Amino acid sequence: MNSVLDVVLSTGFLAAILRVSTPYVLAALGGLLAERAGVPNIALEGSMLTAACAGALVAGYSGSVWAGAACGIAAGALLTLLLGVLHLHLGADAIIAGIGLNLLASGATAYTVYALLGDKGGTSRLHSGALPSVRLPLIEDIPGLGPVLSGQNLMTWVALAAAPAVAWLLYRARFGFHLRAVGEFPEAARSVGIHVHRVQFLALALSGALAGAAGVFLSMGAVSFFVTGMTAGRGYIALAAVFLGALRPWGVFLAALGFGAAEALSVQLGNLDIPSQLVSAIPYVFTLLALAFFARRRLVKESV
Amino acid sequence: MTPTVKTLVNAEPEGRSAFLAARRTSTAVELTMTVLTVAVAVLIAFLVILATGKDASGALGALLTGPLDRTPRIGRWLADATTLSLLGLSVAIPFRARQISLGAEGQVYAGALAGALVAIHVPLPPVAAVLVPLGAAALAGAALGAVPGVMKARLGANEIVATLMLNAVVVRVFDYLLTDHLRSPASAAIQSDPVRPGSALPLLSDFFGVPLDQANIGLFGMLAVAAAVWFLLARTPLGYRIRMTGSNPEFALYGGIDVPRTIEWSFVIGGALAGLAGAHLALGVYGGLQPDMAGGLAFEGIVVALLARNNPVGVVAAALLYSYLRVGGDVMEQQTDVGSEAVTIIQAVIVLLVTARALPELVKRHLARKEAGR
Amino acid sequence: MEHRDKPPPALQVTGLGKTYPNGTRAVSDVDLEIPVGEIRAIVGQNGAGKSTLMKLLYGLEHPSAGRIRIRGLQVRLSGPQDAITLGVGMVHQNLMLVPSFTIAENVVLGVEPGRASRVDRTAAAERTAALAEEAGLAVDPEARVDQVSVGMRQRAEILKALHRGARILILDEPTAVLTPQETTDLFEAVRRLRDSGMTVLFISHKLKEVREISDRVTVMRAGSVVGTVETHEATAAELASMMVGREMSLEVPRTPARPGATVLRVRDLAGPSVHGVSFGIAAGEIVGLAGVEGNGQTELVELLAGLRRPTAGSVTVDGADVTRLDAAAHRRAGIAHVPEDRLSNGAALDQSIADNLIVDRYARPPLARRGTLRTRRVRDLAEELIRRYAIRAPHPSVPAGALSGGNLQKVVVARELSSGPRLLLAAQLTRGVDIGAMHFMYERLVEARDAGAAVLLVSADLGELLALSDRLLVIKDGRLVARFDDPAGLTEEATGLYMLGVEQHTDERITAGVG
Repeated sequence: MNSVLDVVLSTGFLAAILRVSTPYVLAALGGLLAERAGVPNIALEGSMLTAACAGALVAGYSGSVWAGAACGIAAGALLTLLLGVLHLHLGADAIIAGIGLNLLASGATAYTVYALLGDKGGTSRLHSGALPSVRLPLIEDIPGLGPVLSGQNLMTWVALAAAPAVAWLLYRARFGFHLRAVGEFPEAARSVGIHVHRVQFLALALSGALAGAAGVFLSMGAVSFFVTGMTAGRGYIALAAVFLGALRPWGVFLAALGFGAAEALSVQLGNLDIPSQLVSAIPYVFTLLALAFFARRRLVKESV
Repeated sequence: MTPTVKTLVNAEPEGRSAFLAARRTSTAVELTMTVLTVAVAVLIAFLVILATGKDASGALGALLTGPLDRTPRIGRWLADATTLSLLGLSVAIPFRARQISLGAEGQVYAGALAGALVAIHVPLPPVAAVLVPLGAAALAGAALGAVPGVMKARLGANEIVATLMLNAVVVRVFDYLLTDHLRSPASAAIQSDPVRPGSALPLLSDFFGVPLDQANIGLFGMLAVAAAVWFLLARTPLGYRIRMTGSNPEFALYGGIDVPRTIEWSFVIGGALAGLAGAHLALGVYGGLQPDMAGGLAFEGIVVALLARNNPVGVVAAALLYSYLRVGGDVMEQQTDVGSEAVTIIQAVIVLLVTARALPELVKRHLARKEAGR
Repeated sequence: MEHRDKPPPALQVTGLGKTYPNGTRAVSDVDLEIPVGEIRAIVGQNGAGKSTLMKLLYGLEHPSAGRIRIRGLQVRLSGPQDAITLGVGMVHQNLMLVPSFTIAENVVLGVEPGRASRVDRTAAAERTAALAEEAGLAVDPEARVDQVSVGMRQRAEILKALHRGARILILDEPTAVLTPQETTDLFEAVRRLRDSGMTVLFISHKLKEVREISDRVTVMRAGSVVGTVETHEATAAELASMMVGREMSLEVPRTPARPGATVLRVRDLAGPSVHGVSFGIAAGEIVGLAGVEGNGQTELVELLAGLRRPTAGSVTVDGADVTRLDAAAHRRAGIAHVPEDRLSNGAALDQSIADNLIVDRYARPPLARRGTLRTRRVRDLAEELIRRYAIRAPHPSVPAGALSGGNLQKVVVARELSSGPRLLLAAQLTRGVDIGAMHFMYERLVEARDAGAAVLLVSADLGELLALSDRLLVIKDGRLVARFDDPAGLTEEATGLYMLGVEQHTDERITAGVG
């Protein structure tokens, strides 16, 4: 037990939390925007995967990580716009379309990588590089805080900035105002001349861009190549974080951090000779219990 | 009687036959649309393959005809379709009750685990040797299904999140148990001991004298299950409750239906079916436990159910279609250098086209405009 | 010969029509001319086309034919935005307010004050308060919409229109959810607006109010305009006959009630929005419950139907205590319930008519035997009920959602009445139902009463209540405030006084004989 505590309280662990949480935070905030606009975005997983693959491929072939990152984010947004077209223009059920798009992304990315590189595993043969990490010259000398904040990847900072940005967008910006109205009562929004579909499309684009950023971090931040299926269900976990966070930006942020922390914990504990599968199941057990707990609490509150 | 009612009575016979005729035409139209959708999806794949510079027609030829070339492939097709149908049926039931249960993945592994444990370790007389493991598998799946079912029904907890979480947990527990406790010392690969010969599902190859890979009598079991599901939904009070709850839970409550109980049952029955799918894998296809034995089948089952609009007959048909494509994809990959992921693309495109309900309308309108233009 | 110096009418419509893709002709060949500063009422039955006409004028629907001229300019409204820019404001019957936003936020939605992409919430609240003061419409700008009264929500809607510079105000059934006092306040505000130059279009089917507030009345029937008259020149009866096209009697022919033993006994019943209600209903009588919407009648009916759990008190039917039992047990005790909102819980719209008709009896013989549903019996029953209740549907397997409002209500009524109930709870029996079907419902209700059922009729339509009730109760703030054992001769005004709480009966009178 001592060794567990040592692990948890180390600065390396806290730094790991920030690192591991990055894709969850970005994807979950993306999911939040879509959900608040009234279009559930189940395709976070697909957007992340497509972005990770596109980013790595473009970076590898063009030699520029920035081009790769931009293309990755754009790819994530495009997939979500496709969801918008299917759901808003063609009457598709948002959840079915989302699952279908995830399937499409998994097939298309694996197929493309195999077709281009002949490798079923990923793009490791391609040298695509990674986005830079950020050293903070003065802060890194502060004991405790320094090693946690300094040396994090650029995308981690993007994730940390995204939370207040999304909060501002939703509650202070005109667009966010319209977005919330559209998501809560589209008829009312339409009756005052707000273009409901336009707002929803924009929200989806932002949602996909955020999920894309999460994917870009995976293949160009955490590691520097794409592995088939590397999102490993993170998009679905991000969805869970959206609900766990009660559809509010800071709640979602905390929930995403929680998932990141649990994942980081399971990796560390794995080093201590505790069966890794059981340890890695911890975040999910935790969410399940939290889900039951919050549901029960809501029920009790409502019956009062 | 007021004048309005009189004219009504006269209008009825016409209205009725017109309605029945309209219903027949629309079913025919829907069927045609589905066939067209598959064709379009295959066409899109053709173009994609072409775009990546590969031999598209050769690849598609292998894909579409490959499974029929050799009987073991047909066997694989049927075995796959059996598992997939059961998985599709397992989610179709909660879907009909408007519950978005994505828990097939966890339930299939739980079922495989329970069924295999009994089949490997418990000696049983002939028929029981098959039925008891099947029962254990169904029970395990049902118990697992009960968890999100009760959470949703009694606490209102989001079942999408609950089932996804449970999947993740069960899959890892399965992996752990297989690697650390159930691993057979007799082989180098990670797998369990084989199931007792008495418990293995009899192979169709033995029946028909033709090599049919791992296809087994589970196929007939699956057909019986599909018929049972149809009967449940269309002809039993529980099925009525499930349908009404799915259509309008407020109405069901108002009518006196015990909605929470109905929801729970839909999850439990669904879980049992997924457990049976797991038993089919463990006792039929693999004869034991393997890591990742369900592959992506659970999610594909969800897709199949959605495609079939949760109609039991449609589920079997869609499962046959999808399994055919998967086997074809493997043949394609063997014989050409086109990756089998192209099949995933086809499957995804089919789902997207089918769910875009407005698409047929747009096509019809476009054609009508062209006609008018002539 | 046109007089060149006469200002153009605020609104002029020629040959306006709207036909929906499924063939329904909602509005056909409508001509309308409304001068500036007039209060024009548009009346007609449900389905006469009034709402569709207003949607066309506000850009929510596109006309299939005809022209719209606003202040002499021909316009094409591609959406509400165009209408708003041209000075047309609309207060919808279903208030279009976002529940979690404040009043001020709702008022400024779409035209929020603030620089660039920020929203200045303080400015919004100030602007709203100023507008409210000027127009004489009291609101609390910072209050959340889902926490204020219906009256305030409606005032917020009007402020919304004023904030956008409306010169033509369309009010769609504004008094449907208001108390008589709030209606008076509303009319005052409308007159004040008219005096400052506003043109007002006022849709209603309440002839009394129409005659009180409007300058002229346009009557619509079956999608067309029947005629326009000066309000002070036309009587209610004349207007009614224009609406219906035949001599319409507001009386429902019925024999006097012959009440038998007490069936329903309610004692000190309490629950959400219900604070201690005691009354009884005997077999063979119709007891009406009057009250402004939102005073607990909805919740009371739900408590009696078993859809809600009471916190105190008791409900007995034929002596059996059903207080804490669920909806299924209530039905078993012989309670039938025609719900207030058939679309939300009275029917499963994508299921067949047949399936909708059997929700209370699918698990029992003759429809179920040995654990299976007998589909032929179900279909036979459905066809029988369709015939008996004159439901317009070609086949029992047609989805219920394809039926018109009146026919769907017939399905609900057919189901509930055919169960031979001991107690019938009828909430808003004729809401959204056309006049022909309305009388059909009244006849069925009286029929049920004469067959020995105890009937509780809850309605927002006082005329209906006074015409049908053998006894009348009035509810306010979750308590019974009046009881009339002989409502003959009772007027709507007098009842209104009790609904408002101006007058009240003593507890002794209300609970006499309940036991």
